[in-house]
Amino acid sequence: MAQTKQGPASTGSTALGSLWKAYSEQTPDRLKFIDAFLFFLMLSGVIQFAYCVLVTTYPYNAFLSGFASTVGQFVLAASLRSQVNPQNKDEFKEVSPERAFADFALGSIVLHFFVYNFLG
Amino acid sequence: MIFSPVAVLLLAASAVQASVLTLQSPKFVVTDALGSQLRAEPFSLVHRTGTPVKLEAKDTLKITFQVVDKEDGKGVQPHQTFIRFFDPSTGEEGIQPIRVTGGGKAKFELNPSKPPLYLPPTSTEPLKVSLIIGTPNYDPITVRLFDLILPASQPAPTHPDEASFHVRPELHHTFRPDQKLPPKAVSLFFAGLTFAPWVVLIGLWSQVTPRLTHLFSPSILPFILSLVAFESLLLTYWVKLRLGEVLLYGAGLGLVTIFTGRQALSSISSLRKD
Repeated sequence: MAQTKQGPASTGSTALGSLWKAYSEQTPDRLKFIDAFLFFLMLSGVIQFAYCVLVTTYPYNAFLSGFASTVGQFVLAASLRSQVNPQNKDEFKEVSPERAFADFALGSIVLHFFVYNFLG
Repeated sequence: MIFSPVAVLLLAASAVQASVLTLQSPKFVVTDALGSQLRAEPFSLVHRTGTPVKLEAKDTLKITFQVVDKEDGKGVQPHQTFIRFFDPSTGEEGIQPIRVTGGGKAKFELNPSKPPLYLPPTSTEPLKVSLIIGTPNYDPITVRLFDLILPASQPAPTHPDEASFHVRPELHHTFRPDQKLPPKAVSLFFAGLTFAPWVVLIGLWSQVTPRLTHLFSPSILPFILSLVAFESLLLTYWVKLRLGEVLLYGAGLGLVTIFTGRQALSSISSLRKD
């Protein structure tokens, strides 16, 4: 009797599946919102880098500013997420979620300013 | 008086007999390295030797004569006796003073294997050799004797700075060719690909939109608006503003944002604490 192997698509029976289940059930909506943003940034950066490697680096400053914008924004959003997460409240005693959001906004604006400068 | 004293003196000087020098037994001999004579001829002050004298590398040219007074044949030692080697094509000359004894006897030797320093570098034309004799109370002598063909010399060494005095060769710079854009189809495809993550983002966000209950309350809205204003300022900067302007507007807008932000975030935190 051959045991049918269950592929990763079957939920709950493999490590990835249970991870995904736990994530989608236990993460608050706000954090999922930020996670979607993070995923989008990662995709965008990967595609830009792939274009640079595959096709051309010709407007090199444009590539650098685009890639740096995705990376920088990813870092800012990740730090926002970790500071806003209620489970991390003990880690960030002196940083309230509002303060974290203000930092995020300020950092984003400065990043955008530099990126626009370099974009050309 | 018509005759001034100077004219009298001149007349008196010309009345003195203008003595003339001449050469006695002038001859030149060309011998080769072994000592055998290749050419031995007399030369004369009156007519030039026709055929040029050709010297090979190891030959020797020897010139001998005696300077005598034409009238009485007595030997004269002139004050100045020179042999001049002149190259008409380059205009260079070499002068050799000849030692003349008290009795007027003179001897000169030229060996191309030990060339004297005054000889100019050879050119295509032969050197014109002439004799120059000058002494007081006698008429001077400047007479071309014969032509001399020397073995070819090395070219004159060029000065190390010589090149900088002439026009330099023109420089041709080669530049890297301009970078080209990839073909439009490729560019469009990858541009579309780069915008694809936005679709993914919109899709994901549509599933997890958090509740925006407080977004439009009067304490929060100004903050959101000032953030939007900041982003639009940056976009305008990209399009048409300059750095000084954007910094100026940004400073003003930042001040506004600080106040609206404090108000918004403090209201949110008070809500959270409730």
